[in-house]
Amino acid sequence: MTSNNGRTMDGARPRPLDGVKLLDLTWFGAGPIATRAIANLGADVIRVETEKRPDGLRITGPRPVGSTSLNVSGYYNNFNSEKRSITLDLTTERGHELGLELVRWADLFMTNMTNRAVRQIGMTWDIVQKANPRIVAMYQPMQGLTGPHTEFVGFGAVLSAVCGVNYLSGYAENRPIGVGSNYPDYVVNPIHASIALMAALRHQRRTGEGQLIDMSQLESSVAALGGPIFAWDNGRIEYQRRGNRSAYAAPHGAYRVQDTPERSDRWLVLACLEEAQWSAFASAAGHPEWAGDERFRSLEARQANEDALDALIAEWAAMQDGAAAMERLQAAGVPAGLVQRASEVLADPHMAERGYFAYPEHAEAGRRAYDGPGFRLSKTPHEVRGPAPLLGEHTLEIATEVLHLTPDEIGTLVAEQVLY
Amino acid sequence: MTSAATRTDGHAPGVLSDIRVLDVSGPIGHYAGRLLADLGADVIKVEPPEGDPSRRWGPFLPGVDAPEDALGFLLLNANKRGVTLDLQDAAGRDAFLRLMATADVLIESWRPSEAAAFGLTPEVLLEARPDLIHASVTGWGLTGPRAEWAFADIVALAMSGVMALAGFPDGPPEQLPDHQGYHAASIDAAAGIMAAVLHRDASGEGQHVEVSMQEALSMAQETAMQSADILGVDRERTGGAARALPGLGVYPTADGYIYAMCTGNAGSGFPGLVGLMRDLGGVEDLDEEPYASFIATSMNANFVLAAMQDPKKAEPLQEILGHMQEVVTRFFAAHRRQLLYEQGQERRVLLGMVSTPADISASPQLNARDWYVEVDDPGRGRRFRYPGPPWQLHGTPATVRRPAPLLGEHNGEVLGGLDGASVAGGTQRGETAQ
Repeated sequence: MTSNNGRTMDGARPRPLDGVKLLDLTWFGAGPIATRAIANLGADVIRVETEKRPDGLRITGPRPVGSTSLNVSGYYNNFNSEKRSITLDLTTERGHELGLELVRWADLFMTNMTNRAVRQIGMTWDIVQKANPRIVAMYQPMQGLTGPHTEFVGFGAVLSAVCGVNYLSGYAENRPIGVGSNYPDYVVNPIHASIALMAALRHQRRTGEGQLIDMSQLESSVAALGGPIFAWDNGRIEYQRRGNRSAYAAPHGAYRVQDTPERSDRWLVLACLEEAQWSAFASAAGHPEWAGDERFRSLEARQANEDALDALIAEWAAMQDGAAAMERLQAAGVPAGLVQRASEVLADPHMAERGYFAYPEHAEAGRRAYDGPGFRLSKTPHEVRGPAPLLGEHTLEIATEVLHLTPDEIGTLVAEQVLY
Repeated sequence: MTSAATRTDGHAPGVLSDIRVLDVSGPIGHYAGRLLADLGADVIKVEPPEGDPSRRWGPFLPGVDAPEDALGFLLLNANKRGVTLDLQDAAGRDAFLRLMATADVLIESWRPSEAAAFGLTPEVLLEARPDLIHASVTGWGLTGPRAEWAFADIVALAMSGVMALAGFPDGPPEQLPDHQGYHAASIDAAAGIMAAVLHRDASGEGQHVEVSMQEALSMAQETAMQSADILGVDRERTGGAARALPGLGVYPTADGYIYAMCTGNAGSGFPGLVGLMRDLGGVEDLDEEPYASFIATSMNANFVLAAMQDPKKAEPLQEILGHMQEVVTRFFAAHRRQLLYEQGQERRVLLGMVSTPADISASPQLNARDWYVEVDDPGRGRRFRYPGPPWQLHGTPATVRRPAPLLGEHNGEVLGGLDGASVAGGTQRGETAQ
């Protein structure tokens, strides 16, 4: 049961960030997903947006065929559940004053805009801190607030190249194309950010002190790719681009299995992390003799003969029904799975039984799938309780209840295009 | 160190300096413990007597003996103390429970049957310690038909839909580098623990935090999930060639590769790239007609892709674009990646060098921000250089206070101090540090 603004549930259990207020000046991926986690933990998150320059994800889609509405992009909506949206032009004088009112209202502030855009809307740390000395303010530009590259710009695809994702994935003989997405935007950078926001909130609650969080998306991304950099720095060990292979496990890879009537291009992945898993694999695959083959008797031997090993497994896999092979290998204790496409993930029976995806009702987009929480809490739930906001959906309510404007004042501000 | 990122002097108490964490997890949970440690928590890594499995995972550090030479373990377990306990053994389990009585947070990665075998299920633990924050970080979560399945990083990448996006159409789907499944699970676990700490501060009540690696990765499907849900279309791996336009994608340079994103409205766009080509040399005839007018007015991905739908416009357009692609390719191939990146970005051209680990180690930006942290490791006779933390908290900086523990290094100091504890399940440093 949702209340009239769709943001709370009757009788719902309390959440850990109930009562926390966050002013959200983020857009695209890495920022909004961070503040979404804070919203799904109970905080009141107000996103400031404009029609002049809407979040690119409202435009990018996917949207239903033929729709050009700014309210139905699955890309945007997935990252903004339970937030409130006010359309307020911070580049106007009066709009900026109202923005500072929101700064004074907030416990937490976050933006992932470029430093230049932050200057254009007048929300740099010195201004924000002056308006609210106890605020926690996170700035999350691509390269941080200082240093020779502080003004460098890009999206996740540019960052993927700079932070090492491209070089560290794929095969040596191929161009380093990356991993097919703006990868660091979706878990690493946003959830790292939500950890820091909550850490600083704890300090604020205990001491009354706010602070500046200078979060470089580059640093955050590299922190989660530390292995090859640490190995280079401390052992001068050069990273080898070996696709799906592993430095410490063999077999370790993706092997093509039979097409099914519904789907072609099917792949089984397999990782034998322990010797017992290797012999269990050989038995479950119907080739117990592989385990005794001297070419494959130890990890070192299998790595030395990995082409031969992979060729044997590829030949075996080509005859297999992927789902049945996965079940058989898992029953034998072997880490195995299928390369699932998104439609299969949405229908995945295990995730469905766990209730991972959420389907909140959205006034314009209808009932669409949202990613569920990346972590679950047993007593104070982390969960998606409502949809993303329409552009400016909560302008009037925020203007009235948070900014304490009268209907006349609101009318004037709308006419002046400060509020939309 | 004096940067805002990290301090090794220990003077600034971290946000979690009053929190003790027992990290008995396998590799899937190591980074969670590391993040909490960097925020000031006292994190004790509990390993089986033979050591964590990742002590046997390469790459290994030359000149240091096993089991102290596994670089991945050394990185993700820095800032933790370490003890060894045999949870299969009654005395070891007893010592573990006594140690747990001193802790605020437990991080483990047991499947339900393993937790039950240890007698350490979430229900038992919360009953024994209502204020315990207990995090379970596993491949599939603790409920559902696959809760007992074996897990590995690549398996979760596959089952979450993330791997389906990576690779070339004529090759296999590709895994992501350096354990992004384990990292995603750990990052979500650390976030969940932070939320639980805030609730415990307010209420005195602990709770169970549960992470499934498959679920933690799902968000990284980007738009694939919504494309399937809204349009009924599955995104496929494209080899980065979905839109073969000049100024978009990965290009070879004189010494490596660069990624270009110069066909949109962000930054200075394609005209900015042409300016860079003019300044560095290699613009050829792109300053002349018909290219100059086309670039000034129409060289934008949205416009071009829409125009290509019209067969009458597509052919002359292909000719112009084909020539531009050749010139741009020659230009990138003639210059070095770092120069292209820095000079391009100075002009707001969206270029990103394809960095190698050595590039990242030497990055002018990371080094100007004093991001890397150096810590002495007397037990291994080395001084290590660590990548820094993911954020610079100016009021409560992250700290790296110690290297990863030797196997059982702190058995005496941690287990010996427990009231009435038997350390029979543990081993002393001298016995195991070879």
